[in-house]
Amino acid sequence: MAKLLIGTAPVLSCEGLQKSYGDQPAVVEVGFDIAPGETFGLLGPNGAGKTTTISMIAGLLRPDAGSITVAGERMSPTAAAAKGAVGLVPQDLAIYPDLSARENLTFFGRLYGLAKQPLRTRTDEVLEVIGLTDRAGDRAGEFSGGMKRRLNIGIGLLHRPRLLILDEPTVGVDPQSRNAILESVEQLSGEGLAVLYTTHYMEEAERLCRRIAIVDQGRLIAEGTRRELVATLGEQDLVRLEVFGDAVAAAEACAGVEGVRSADVEESTVVCLMHGAGSRLASLLGAVAEQGATVTGVEVREPDLEDVFLHLTGKALRH
Amino acid sequence: MFLLPLLLVVFIGAQFGGTSETRLGVVAPPGDASATALIDELDALQGIAVAPFDDAASLRDDIDRGLLSAGVVVPDGYDEALRSVGPITVVFVGRPDATAASLEALVAGAVGRQAAPGQAALIAAAGLDADPAELRRVALQVQDRIAAIEVTAEQLGSDELQQEFGGLGQFDLGASTQLLLFTFLTALFGSAALIQTRQYGVARRMLSTSTPMSVIVVGQGGGRFLIALVQAVYIVVASALLFRVDWGDPLATGVVLLLFCAVAAATGLLLGSTLRNDSQAGGVALGLGLGAAALGGSMVPLELYPDVMRTVARITPHAWANQAMAEIVRRDGTLADVLTEVGVLAGMAVTLLALGSLTLQRTLTR
Ligand SMILES: Nc1ncnc2c1ncn2[C@@H]1O[C@H](COP(=O)(O)OP(=O)(O)OP(=O)(O)O)[C@@H](O)[C@H]1O
Ligand SMILES: [Mg+2]
Repeated sequence: MAKLLIGTAPVLSCEGLQKSYGDQPAVVEVGFDIAPGETFGLLGPNGAGKTTTISMIAGLLRPDAGSITVAGERMSPTAAAAKGAVGLVPQDLAIYPDLSARENLTFFGRLYGLAKQPLRTRTDEVLEVIGLTDRAGDRAGEFSGGMKRRLNIGIGLLHRPRLLILDEPTVGVDPQSRNAILESVEQLSGEGLAVLYTTHYMEEAERLCRRIAIVDQGRLIAEGTRRELVATLGEQDLVRLEVFGDAVAAAEACAGVEGVRSADVEESTVVCLMHGAGSRLASLLGAVAEQGATVTGVEVREPDLEDVFLHLTGKALRH
Repeated sequence: MFLLPLLLVVFIGAQFGGTSETRLGVVAPPGDASATALIDELDALQGIAVAPFDDAASLRDDIDRGLLSAGVVVPDGYDEALRSVGPITVVFVGRPDATAASLEALVAGAVGRQAAPGQAALIAAAGLDADPAELRRVALQVQDRIAAIEVTAEQLGSDELQQEFGGLGQFDLGASTQLLLFTFLTALFGSAALIQTRQYGVARRMLSTSTPMSVIVVGQGGGRFLIALVQAVYIVVASALLFRVDWGDPLATGVVLLLFCAVAAATGLLLGSTLRNDSQAGGVALGLGLGAAALGGSMVPLELYPDVMRTVARITPHAWANQAMAEIVRRDGTLADVLTEVGVLAGMAVTLLALGSLTLQRTLTR
């Protein structure tokens, strides 16, 4: 179903987005498209500029430069029609703790311009989707973290947006709620909703997103399907060496070994990206030993998105 | 114990009057020992400075012009009268306000203490060699003469001030000034709700909906306005029913109060969009609410301020609203009589509302 819709006009297209806070650039030259039924991932570490990008797309911030089109409408802080096509689920909870789940939904439904009767029906539907029908009358402040998150998402679904923006929706959520959230995203996208999903959890991006953009320091440094992104590393293997001793010196020594394309340090681990790991592992271990360090563990595998990120930025996605 | 509260009232009055000390003018016969002792006693009181005057006329003049808080006229032969236990009258001159009332009590106390020995002597002299019942009879006999040593109070301004405040019910004046104080305060405290909405992230989320920013801002301002209005209407209705307060021309009063509520709401909006948290808002609301009320004549009538203070007070909406309400309640004014005040209040409301909306927009879209 989702695949059939791809190729039609994009729900979101943005290009050349720029935003600075003072003279500190937060977003630099960011642009991408999202098709109906597609879930697009923005993957990046803290402070990469994900929320800033999203705020511009949702019409909360006016970009310093660049353009945003949502469902054919030009987005700006005053563009009511464009805003009506977007459902924003902010990174930080944005609900009234003193109101019940139903009251929260009703309140925002009004702001989205839903009429009374359709709003009542739609509120029931959304409560069902987010699994809060039983708790509809309870104060949101008394909900568990996961339930609050689900209510937070529900508010963004009320007005049947064309584009749903989820800003790190699973942060601080128990595994069960997280799974429920991921499942509903999959279902919504199956129904044709375009989803912009930011996270710094690689597994979530890999599971949900057809295409992923990697952002760092405000820049979009790579974009493509998971396969395409991993392919940028070439036909390579990933070797992780647990090192006891000077890891930095060990990494420098590894970099000198034949076939090694990059060697980075992740705490006490040296991460090497290389061709033909099978035949060259011995030289790698020898190089480390020459530095007076001991290898306490070895892992050889195919690279994943995390490794792509490490390779592109020289730092780990999570801290 | 009874002195402290009185001094407090005098002190507060002095603060709002713009002088650090309460000045008490005294006319006393030169070389009169008892008069000198009286002056010394009054002068020794904390916060009160005695200023000597040559004649009663210039003393009244200075009280009229607000240079003195009150005055005392000690008659010629005061010392002699006390000595011979003869009748004598000390005149207290003051304006009809709390400061003067407190000063009068202080002066009466001081004179009473000077007269007390004579009064006791009078009773004793008359009652020597008598049984208790006889003494009581004697005391009753001399009661008139004891009472003849007295302080009589004289209120200034049988002219202007007297007319200003004359014919008013006990509460008529206080009600409108108190209403302004509380309404303003309530609207400022209402800013806490807006701050919470901001803290919850709900305010920002509202901006992501298709509802235009202007509608959201008006809604937020409207919330503050409603709170202020409920407070105002409550005070008007309750005071009219309970104390039979006369609120004057309904149209004029209504317009003035509506505009005042709008100013209060806009100020609340401004605070709500600039301050960081509830406790900060509480502090600022209290300080600004009471400060503006005090300056604007909601604690001490504006008429009693020196000219400079009265001019400075014009920066507060209270001053304009108080002035308008004075016109409406005391002089049976109509809307036509308070157009200036209404205009200024409307101007303040519009300016503050624009400022509040702008800062709210800025804080939410940063
Ligand atoms: N209101 C603001 N004022 C000033 N600087 C800001 C503001 N909001 C964000 N920044 C800065 O802009 C940069 C990007 O921040 P942003 O919140 O967009 O990152 P993010 O990718 O969403 O990070 P996270 O994963 O932590 O949510 C950071 O350096 C941040 O400090
Ligand atoms: Mg963020």
